[in-house]
Order: sequence, then C-alpha cells, then structure tokens
Amino acid sequence: MKRSFLPSIWTLLSLLALALLAVFLLWPLLNLLGTSLALSGDGQSGWAQLIDDPKYLRALGNTLLLGAAVTLCASVLGVSLAYVTARFDFPGKPWVAILPLCTLVVPEVIVSQTWLMILGNNGVLTLWLDQHLRLRLPSFYGWPGLVLVMSLVYYTYIYLGTLAAIRGFDVQLEEAAQSLGTAPGHARLQVMLPLIMPAVLASALLVFTLVVGNFAIATLLGGRVQLLSVLTYLSFISEMGTNPALQSSLASVSIAIVAGVLFLQRYLVGRKRYELVQGRSAPSRKLRGVPGLLLGAAIGGFILLSSLPLLTVLVSAFTESRGPVMQWGSFSLQNLSRVLLRSPEPILNTLLYGCIATLISLVLSVLISYLVIKKKNLLTPLIDYIAMLPMAMSGTVLGIALVMTFNTGWLALSGSAAIMVLVFVIRRFPFGVRSASSTLYNIPNSIEEASISLGVAPLRSFIKVVLPLMAPAIAAAAVLTWTTIVAELSASLVVYSAGRETITIQVFRLIETGLQGQAAAYGLILVLMTLVPVLFCSLVLRIKVF
Amino acid sequence: MLDLSRKRLLSLAGACLFSLPLTTWAAPQQAVLYTTNNDSAVQAVLDSAKQLAPQLKVGVVTGSSAALLKRIDAEAAAAKADVFWSSQPNTLGAFTTLYQPYQSSHSAAIDPAWQQPDNLWSASNIQVVVMMVNRKQLQGLNEPRRWKDLLDPVWKGRIIVADPSATSTAYTALWGLSQLLGAEDFAALARNLVVSRNSSAVLNAVAQGEYSIGLTFESNAYAYVAGGQKEISLVYPSDGTFVTQEALALIKNGPNPEAGRALVDLLLARDTQVALLQEAYRRPSRSDIEVSAHANLPNLADIKVFPTDDEQAVRERERFLSTWKDLPKGL
Repeated sequence: MKRSFLPSIWTLLSLLALALLAVFLLWPLLNLLGTSLALSGDGQSGWAQLIDDPKYLRALGNTLLLGAAVTLCASVLGVSLAYVTARFDFPGKPWVAILPLCTLVVPEVIVSQTWLMILGNNGVLTLWLDQHLRLRLPSFYGWPGLVLVMSLVYYTYIYLGTLAAIRGFDVQLEEAAQSLGTAPGHARLQVMLPLIMPAVLASALLVFTLVVGNFAIATLLGGRVQLLSVLTYLSFISEMGTNPALQSSLASVSIAIVAGVLFLQRYLVGRKRYELVQGRSAPSRKLRGVPGLLLGAAIGGFILLSSLPLLTVLVSAFTESRGPVMQWGSFSLQNLSRVLLRSPEPILNTLLYGCIATLISLVLSVLISYLVIKKKNLLTPLIDYIAMLPMAMSGTVLGIALVMTFNTGWLALSGSAAIMVLVFVIRRFPFGVRSASSTLYNIPNSIEEASISLGVAPLRSFIKVVLPLMAPAIAAAAVLTWTTIVAELSASLVVYSAGRETITIQVFRLIETGLQGQAAAYGLILVLMTLVPVLFCSLVLRIKVF
Repeated sequence: MLDLSRKRLLSLAGACLFSLPLTTWAAPQQAVLYTTNNDSAVQAVLDSAKQLAPQLKVGVVTGSSAALLKRIDAEAAAAKADVFWSSQPNTLGAFTTLYQPYQSSHSAAIDPAWQQPDNLWSASNIQVVVMMVNRKQLQGLNEPRRWKDLLDPVWKGRIIVADPSATSTAYTALWGLSQLLGAEDFAALARNLVVSRNSSAVLNAVAQGEYSIGLTFESNAYAYVAGGQKEISLVYPSDGTFVTQEALALIKNGPNPEAGRALVDLLLARDTQVALLQEAYRRPSRSDIEVSAHANLPNLADIKVFPTDDEQAVRERERFLSTWKDLPKGL
C-alpha cells in the first residue's frame, strides 16, 4: 500500500478542533486571568481591591459554606430517594420517574419566586403560620432560602447519578457477603457503599460546582448574604466600560475553586477502582400495607414539593395580573397573549440561537469525542483537557471572559447574535462530549477497521459506519444540549445586547421588576420548549435522555 | 434502539430548519432605547409605538441609570444607543457630552420650568418621592407621617433605599433628605436604612414584605396599590417631599439618528404620555394632561413639596456621595 506524506484527515481535523478551542476558549480564559493580574488605571490590581475589602473574603467563605451545605442536603435527599426507588416497590412509584423533569425544566428564577410566594415574608405559609399558630418564621432571604431552594433544585443530579450506580450494582456481591456470615445491613454498607460511592461523590462534586457558580437563585434569595457569583456579576455591571480588573479577579477565584474540586474528584475517584463484570441488579422488594403506604406518602409529598414550581408556572401564566399584582383566582389568557403576540422576540431568539448552538455543539462534541477516543494522536490529550475547561467556569465567568476578549479587536463579536450562540456552544458542548464519549467506548474499533480495509475512505467509513451506531446517543445528546442551552441564564445575561434577549433573560428581568404573570407566561413556553423534545425523544424514538 | 432511520433523521432536521424564525433578520426602522424604566412603562411605549409610529422598531436595554450612562460613555466611540430614557437632571448633568441637543416638536406642551436651556434633554415625566409602606410589616408601629418619624431607632434595618451612587431615584430622595433634615438628623436616618443595589429591589422587597418601608418614587410604588395589593400604601410626608423631573436624551452619534429622533417624539407625544400615566402611573411632563382624570393620584398642587435645587444637587454630588459612603447604615 502506498502512503502519502500528506497528514491524514484526522490530524487535520485535530488541528482544526484545537484551533477552534484555542481561539474561543483558551484565549478568553488566559485573557481573563491575565487581566486580573494586570494593574488597573489607578495602580491597584484587581487582587489588591479584592483583598482590601473584607466583603469579598466574606463572600468567598459564604460561597464555600453554601456549597458544602447544599451538597450535603442534596446528597442526603438524592441518595435516599435513589436507594428507596431502586430497592422497593410502593404505591405511586412510577411517578418518581417524572421528578427529574419537574426540577430540570423550570427556570431557576421561577423556582426561587415560587418559594418566595410560599415561605417569603408575605408567603402563603408564612402568613398562615403567623395568623393561626402565632409562629414567626425566620426571614427566607439569606441562608434558609438559599439552602432549601438549591437543595431542592440540585438533588436531582445526585438522585440520577446514584440511581444508575445502584441499578448497576451486582446483588450477588451482597448475597455473597451475607452467606459469608455478615449481617444483612452490615453487608449492604460494606459492599454496596464502596461501589456506589464514586458515583455519589462525582455527582456531589458536580452539585458543589453548580452551587458555586449559581447566579439566579443566589441573586434573588441571597438577601444580605454576599456570594461570589453575585458580586462577580455586580462588579461586571459596575466596571462596564472601565478596567475589568476586579471582575476578572473574582472570576479567577471561582475558577480556582471549581478547578480545585475537579482535581479532588479525579484524586478521590481515581484512587479506588472497582469494576463490575456482569451485574444482576437487585430485585425491588414490594412494600405492602402501612410501610408501603407511608413510604408512598412520603415520596408523594416530596414529588409534590419538587413539582410546586412547575405548578406555579402553570397557574401564574393563566392568572390575571394588574401591573405587578397577581389577581389570584381570576384566570385569563392576558399574560400569554401579551407574550406571544406583542413581544415574541425572546421566544424567537431562543429558538434561533438555541437551534444553531445545539447543531454546532453536536458537531463539535461528536468530532472531539471521536478524535479523543478513536483517533489518538499527539494533539488529542490536549484537546481533551481544553474541552473540559468550560466545566470549571461558571456562566458569569465564561460570559465575562468572552465579552472581555471579543469586545474589540480583529474579532469583535460583542453585541452580535454570534456571541450569544458562541456562549451557548462553549458553555454546553462538554456535556455533549461526555455523552458521545460514553457511547464511543462501547463501539468496537474492529467494525470501522473492517470498513476501511474493504476500501472505504476513513472519513466516509466514519460517516457510514460509526455515526449510525451513535445515532441514538447523538439524539439524546441533542435533546440534553438543547434543554440546557435554552435554560442558560448566567452567561447570556452578561453578553446579551438590545433585542437579543432570550426567554430566560426576559424572565429574569420581569421577575426583578415584579411582573410575575408575564414571567410565568414566558416560563411556561420555555417549559414546553424543553418538554416537547424530551417527550418526543423518550416516547416516540424510545431513547433515554436522562 | 437502532430503528432511527435516515428518513426520520432527515425529517427531524427539516423540522428544525423550518422552525428557524427568519423574520428576525429583517429590520425596518430600528432604534435602540436604553432605559431605566420598568417593563410596564416600556410596554406602554411599545404599544404606543404600534399606534403612532408603526414603522419604528424599538430595541430595549434596561438597567440602572448609572450603569446605562457609563455604558453609553464607554461606547461613545461607536455608540450603540439612540435614546436614553430616563433619569433626573442631577444624574444626567454628569454626562453632558453624551447627548445630542434636540428640540422635539412636542416641547411647546411642556412647562418651561422643566426645560433644559440647551435642549440637551427633555422632561419626560414628573417624579414625586414617597414612602412605600407595607402595613402588614409595621408590626404594631404607627405608619410614619413625616420624614422625621423615620429617625426613631425602632426602624433600624426596616427601611430600604437603593444605592444613591447607582440610581438617581435614591440620589434624589437622599440628597433631598439631607437638605431637609440637616447633617445630624440625616446621619440618624442613615443608621436605620438598608441599601439595595437597584430601585426595583426596593419595590420587590417592600411588596414581598422583606422590609416595612421603601423610599422610592410614587409612580413605581403606586403600581402595587393600583394592582390591588391592600397592605401597600403611599405616604407623602407632611414635612414636604421632593419633586424632580425625569428626562430623556438623544445620544450623540447614535447608530440610527433619524429613528432616534422619531423615538424622542414618540416618548413625548400626548397619547404616549397618557398611556404612561394610565399603565405605569408616570406623572406627565406635558401640561395639557389632567392627572386625576386618568389615575387615582393626588394633584401636584395638593402635595407639600420641599423645594430643592437640581443644579446644586449636581454640583454637590461627589461630596454628598462620599459623606454618604462613610455614614453608618442600618445593616
């Protein structure tokens, strides 16, 4: 066989991927870190400003504390729910399956607003307790609200991660331990716990990073508790047009926290390795009578609690509002018609940017995961590392990095639709890479090699052989990418300009000005835009998304 | 699992393509409005635009006055905004190089007392400072009637006001109060105040019961009364309150000068101002509109006003803000 000296198509594609990542990800990130170190006009670097004001150190402490508290609460909730659903059958169990949907499709802004309506100082429950039981609840703003709402939003990640691990657990191991004389409860702890621990830990650390980066809930419920993400956004707003020293320092701090967590994860998960050869998952035990009913009721209550925000969106969207005041009990289509007929721009923008960004993300993530897993060369480990960088950046930080870099210069994107799409792609394509990678590991190289040895060109073999095998995974990744893109707020809030508002930005603005009814109407449309593809994928195409 | 035929994928892709909203690319006469006004007010103007100037498409960016003016200043080399709506002269006065003088055909209807001599800006509406009180959160205390009532330490941490360096609403209220109360009493007041970062946070915080009292403009607070939230009331203090104009300005070298002028005319038109009064409770700057005929608000003549000098407020801005920054607050 004659070999040409031209680099192979895969080397070229690796170079292309690397170039794209370098320009749109690495450069902004380095620019951000560089700006934080540079001296600003008045001779004070961002770091000096940061250390001078005790507010920022306090915010750092608060952020870490909040991350720890929420991760703990969410883990307790998520793990116990996963264990109970995997191991027991009880009345109403099928309803548990809708939980992830309930919490993941509703914008966080609306979740916060819902809990304010229930437990805020003017909340339904607060007033009822005060009037009937003379019980005065502490203010919901600050720690109580932050911990409660974030735990209820983020336990889903731990639930999903743990559930998969418990289902994959081989029950024969537990039986073996028992037959060797270990008590049942003890056996479960000693055998099952180490096996599901990596999954729990991985999702717990993911939750920690999400809490550190959270902007929407933090800004609406934080009250007097200063948090890093909110201060970063505020310094971005107040430094607009001036030297971005402080915001870049604050952003660097949050990158450092998340990078530290990711490093910890690699260390902890990498230390212990268990592999399950062939699993037989445990049968779920039927709980009848009182225990079954009790468990069913407890879980039912929890599902109701989780779906309250979704119900609120539904009810508020159809409730008449007069200015900022909701007229509970009188229903109308006024909010929806206002949103759909008079100002549909945020909806159109979301569809347009979301579609384009999803397509680009998919192409990029399939390409990158294929290169990294199947076509290893000198460049691919580097690509792998850089592609995971967005995971370490909160939305606000990513937005600031992109605005700072593409504001002027040879590639001035600020104010354009392109930067909206860019921000979505960069923020969400790592999810696609992860999802595509997990499928690619399971596709044997031999199939593709057979095609190539039969004379089909490499690229064509990839398209004809590998892609069709990946199709279900790609479809699932597409839905997941789409869902997370249209729900994105913190990064797009930083980069958007006039007329380029997406639904989440508009909802945030409306909630901030107190116009709940319209916010809920936009929220409802967003929920539909997420639910329809998810349901289509799982019911019609029969592909598991979550 | 693998029954995902190519046909199905193609039809999926097709459906995606057709759902792309192509109309968003076409723009007839576009004007970019940077505004500090809330969505009710913006909506009233957009509705009015559909009636009075259907060819005019308005892109809206909202924010606090300081953030928007700083942004306009930063963008001065390649301006992105056409019109700024609205802020008080005490804030506008710090950025006079940003505006393009323009005399709208509607300016004859505006009281000469409110007119800027060089037409750098035009009065869009009249603002009155009030106490927004949540009566459910008074917890046994009497509703305050005078500014002086707020000096009582029982109010510590229960009164909210926005950051005067970031919003002109708060600057107007606090600068006026510093004149009315004098340094010592003003410091006593400051010890009770909690500072929020923007004006809308003040409204939300009082409406949702996080604070008992908010210092804000009548127009924003009245929306809650008009909407039927019974525990909210507006107090026009009997020791006199502060009245100022809010003004809009055409931005120098804006990207769409013609559309920008059309937008200024639209904002000052009688129908727009009536709509703003009815929908967003903005007291019109035009003298040819009878306020009580369109909204349940007291006439300006019935409100006791403590006179303040806008120019003095601009001159003393830096000094006031630095004193303010060092005063102990209620937090």
